[in-house]
Amino acid sequence: MIQMFHVYKAYPGDPPVLSDINLHVEKGEFVFLTGPSGAGKTTLLKLVFCAEKATKGQILVGGRNVARIRESAVPYLRRNIGVVFQDFKLLPHRTVEDNVAFALDVLGVPRAEARERVHRMLKLVGLQHKAGSLPLRLSGGEQQRVVIARALVNDPTILLADEPTGNLDPALTVEIMDLLMDVNVRGTTVMVATHDNTLLQRYQKRTVRLERGMLVSDEDGVKAARRLALG
Amino acid sequence: MSILAKTAYFWRSAASGLRHAPFVHFVAVTTIAIALFSAGLARGLGHLVDGLLGSLGGEVQVTVYLSPELDEESAVVLRQRMEAATGGTVTVVPPEAALERLATELGDLGEALAHLPENPLPPSLELEVPRERRTPGALKALAEELRALPGVTGVDYGEEAVARLSSISRALGYGGWVGFAVVMMATVAIVAATLQLAIYARREEIEIQKLVGATDRFVKVPFLIEGFLQGLLGAVVALVGLLAFERLVGPGLSSLFAFLVGRGGLVPLLEPKQALELLVTGGALGLGGSFIAVGRFLRV
Repeated sequence: MIQMFHVYKAYPGDPPVLSDINLHVEKGEFVFLTGPSGAGKTTLLKLVFCAEKATKGQILVGGRNVARIRESAVPYLRRNIGVVFQDFKLLPHRTVEDNVAFALDVLGVPRAEARERVHRMLKLVGLQHKAGSLPLRLSGGEQQRVVIARALVNDPTILLADEPTGNLDPALTVEIMDLLMDVNVRGTTVMVATHDNTLLQRYQKRTVRLERGMLVSDEDGVKAARRLALG
Repeated sequence: MSILAKTAYFWRSAASGLRHAPFVHFVAVTTIAIALFSAGLARGLGHLVDGLLGSLGGEVQVTVYLSPELDEESAVVLRQRMEAATGGTVTVVPPEAALERLATELGDLGEALAHLPENPLPPSLELEVPRERRTPGALKALAEELRALPGVTGVDYGEEAVARLSSISRALGYGGWVGFAVVMMATVAIVAATLQLAIYARREEIEIQKLVGATDRFVKVPFLIEGFLQGLLGAVVALVGLLAFERLVGPGLSSLFAFLVGRGGLVPLLEPKQALELLVTGGALGLGGSFIAVGRFLRV
């Protein structure tokens, strides 16, 4: 589903943010992307959804080479990728329902159908009773669930989450992670960037570790959890 | 279905843009309305003066004074030449008939004319000008043409009044164009400035739109519609203002110029065609302004 071959990313005058990254993520896989702050996790995710362009190397997403994709084709690629951010990126003056429907407006889904799909998605994330609320009246966990609903409402094949629990307390963190696991069980490929080792230990999924822009380990979940437990 | 849904979204989004910054849009629409009102008024007044000129042209009788030495037969020949050259109707007025008419016009004083040793009035021809030559320029050319005919000593057609109205009409015409240029620039600048603010205020929304797969066109269209609506609303307000002006000031103008236009009254300040032009102009200028704003400030 996602393949990276010798990918580099550098900004003029700075050391490379990513160096020689080789990574293969299969369809339906769940992958943790971990490493300290500044390791290049966010940049790697940005390369996948074309928010940044690789300096060198090839990136295939769903069989398409995004390193060579035309600017005008990027929106169509993004419609197959849901993105969840730590800072939510919700529109504060629009209701929960409108925020989720925003992704369907772009696709030109008729209002009635959009409403039905939004309600189905809000039910999935357990927020059907908050459809008319404004985001600022929700808790952090609820806001993140709205973001997940928005990311999933157009049935993307890939879900990218950049520190989705970074702003949440432990209980809400579990709630959001359980939701992401559930999404993965339904067939969506999920990549979660996090520096929270407790999540890696708890969920024991494939873990890719970045350090100073380089991929330093790629382990299955059990192995990664064991290594972390040993300190 | 998708196109319909997207179109509906674009209009909803544009209307919501207007609603979310009511004060900024109110100021913009009012300024556009004032500019378009001024341009519309100049245009309407120009149209009105043109109408007056038309009325005056219809009333003007070109009088061609002939040499007293010209005999009656030569006058008839001249009349035929004039009719052939101008396409109008020409009446021969012998000196006796002219004196009689003058005496009638002078009333009691007319009796004094009877004591004159000889008739001082020359023979003349009166030409009813054909409709197509009733414009100031055409009348002037016609007068020149007639003056050049042998046996003609003078031509009179109320030149001064026509020339004055004509220069007013010209001034209004030029003023209208200058006004239109100012209105055009002002409207475009206002729309561009307000949309720059709108783009800035909605930068978060634009960012999210891009994240969920919106094309550049999808992001830009609501802003273009917003500019179009601003221009159109400005034109509607200007139109209402012009109609009110016509209703309040029109009767006064009609009575002021009644001696020229008769019972038919003045031509209307605003005809349906001009009202439509005003709306189209407002919308087009708004769209132009939004194109500039979107091109310059919307980085997607």
